[in-house]
Amino acid sequence: MEEKLTREEVLHVARLARIQLSEEEIEKYQVELKKLLKDVEKINDVKGYDDDILIACWDGNTELRKDEEGEMLDPKQVVENAPHHAGNYIEVPVVIGESEGA
Amino acid sequence: MKYLNKSITEIHELLKNKTITPVDLVEEAFENIEKNKELNAYITLNKEEALKEAKELEGKEVDNLLFGLPIAVKDNIITKGLRTTCGSHILENFVPIYNATVVEKIKAKHMIIIGKTNMDEFAMGSSSRTSYFGAPRNPWNKDKICGGSSGGSAATIAARDVLFAIGSDTGGSIRQPASYTGIVGMKPTYGRISRYGLVAFASSLDQMGPMTKNVYENAVLLNALVGKDEKDLTSARREEEDFTRFIGKDIKGMKIAVPNFLMGDIVSKEVKEKIKDTIQLLEKSGATVDYVDIKYLENAMTLYQIIAMGEASSNLARFDGIRYGFQAENIKNIEEMYLETRGQGFGEEVKRRIMVGSYLLSGENAKVYYNKALSIRDDMRKEFKKVFEKYDLIIGPTTVTTAYDLTDPMDDPRKSFMDDVLVIPVNMAGLPGMNIPVGFDNKHMPIGMQIIGNSFEEAKIYQLGSFIEKSLNLELTPGGEK
Repeated sequence: MEEKLTREEVLHVARLARIQLSEEEIEKYQVELKKLLKDVEKINDVKGYDDDILIACWDGNTELRKDEEGEMLDPKQVVENAPHHAGNYIEVPVVIGESEGA
Repeated sequence: MKYLNKSITEIHELLKNKTITPVDLVEEAFENIEKNKELNAYITLNKEEALKEAKELEGKEVDNLLFGLPIAVKDNIITKGLRTTCGSHILENFVPIYNATVVEKIKAKHMIIIGKTNMDEFAMGSSSRTSYFGAPRNPWNKDKICGGSSGGSAATIAARDVLFAIGSDTGGSIRQPASYTGIVGMKPTYGRISRYGLVAFASSLDQMGPMTKNVYENAVLLNALVGKDEKDLTSARREEEDFTRFIGKDIKGMKIAVPNFLMGDIVSKEVKEKIKDTIQLLEKSGATVDYVDIKYLENAMTLYQIIAMGEASSNLARFDGIRYGFQAENIKNIEEMYLETRGQGFGEEVKRRIMVGSYLLSGENAKVYYNKALSIRDDMRKEFKKVFEKYDLIIGPTTVTTAYDLTDPMDDPRKSFMDDVLVIPVNMAGLPGMNIPVGFDNKHMPIGMQIIGNSFEEAKIYQLGSFIEKSLNLELTPGGEK
């Protein structure tokens, strides 16, 4: 039988990733995610390395830009890029509870 | 009369002596794209604006080699006022309000953006088949993939629609499609080009680069793209250099290493033979070529899976349906909005990678997987550096096979990683790497070789690349009309 994650395990990672899955997807990902997770387990076979961590591979110096006032994006354009907006505000759905109109 | 199949220097002369204008070039580019429509290389065309810009250039001094030339830009690079989808439904209608730094740079050279090229969704894939807009097709055989994720950029260059394209490469996404389509694709050193405005996939690996029909034009475009940018902390401050400066120079005495891993059993016989032929050519020309072992290469794919999926899960958290892009409808509260927007907005491959990435970074797992991968990556990079103490360059095949059928199954979630197994190590070590075509298989599909250099030694890669290009003198236009 094909190795797979449990339904609950898939729902757990989907929840972590904030992704709604259909029933069909849950079944599919039970098998597919298991395959990928088995792959990444191979890291435990690697021996003899140093514990130094390399965050990113660049040979340049870390150079922070000066904390100066500069050009910014136009706030009006930023707001207008949101799917729902009103005046200078971005509109979001109800944060606590449920909206009545939906 | 056609001009876009000529060399950049010829076109430059024609522009200078006013035989042609940028409008002629832009019109020709759109005729080519129309003729090659079934390649599906573009997600969005920029016709009206491109023609307007071309007209504005008339009468201006032709002040650099790239002046007035059309260029295609991968659709994960932000273009102000021009739709940028990343090949995804979630950004299907996203029109950015600023330009990526590379876009500002090509505009400063008076290049003209012709359109946004097709790609795997959020650059996640190896065949461009995860694009929400359908897969691009390989100009050498339209039933084959053109690789990915920069598949559209590769296709439009191979088809000779335009001279220049920009791609991005997180785990081989410039070099691998370049190999499958018989073009030159360079992933520069991490930090060479500012990533500002490149929609982030795996920030510690992502790098943009030029895709062109030949080595010289590639180096000329790279000249225009590089430089320190205050908007990207990881962009490197380097002295200005001309990447074309070693082109045409002899390779006598050059020391070249071939990692045994890159010539192992995973590589098809035909590809291996072609690489061996090229090695012989180099030896005959006075270079020394040695086979070497580089520790951890066989682990690179695992490291990549952990680092790339982990960073992707974090980077793609920004697609929440609030500030831009798609938002699901008929929702009750903000939590449901996140879930539905992302559930409906992302495609299969992206969801899979975000979920695995979220798992890898959650709680204690971050130490078990991600931190460990970063540690081994550091060691792997040091192993590469040891090789460069003795050798000028590293070479090997770019891909294990030539381009496969568009209809090949997509049901194995590991397939997209396996396709890139030879190109991934370069990203892990932050090194520059380039694909150069070295021949064809028995179905006349291109075979590519990658040339890997030490950090910031792109000029040396171009030197060897141009030598091979000139020596082999392959007919690299599909259909054969040069």
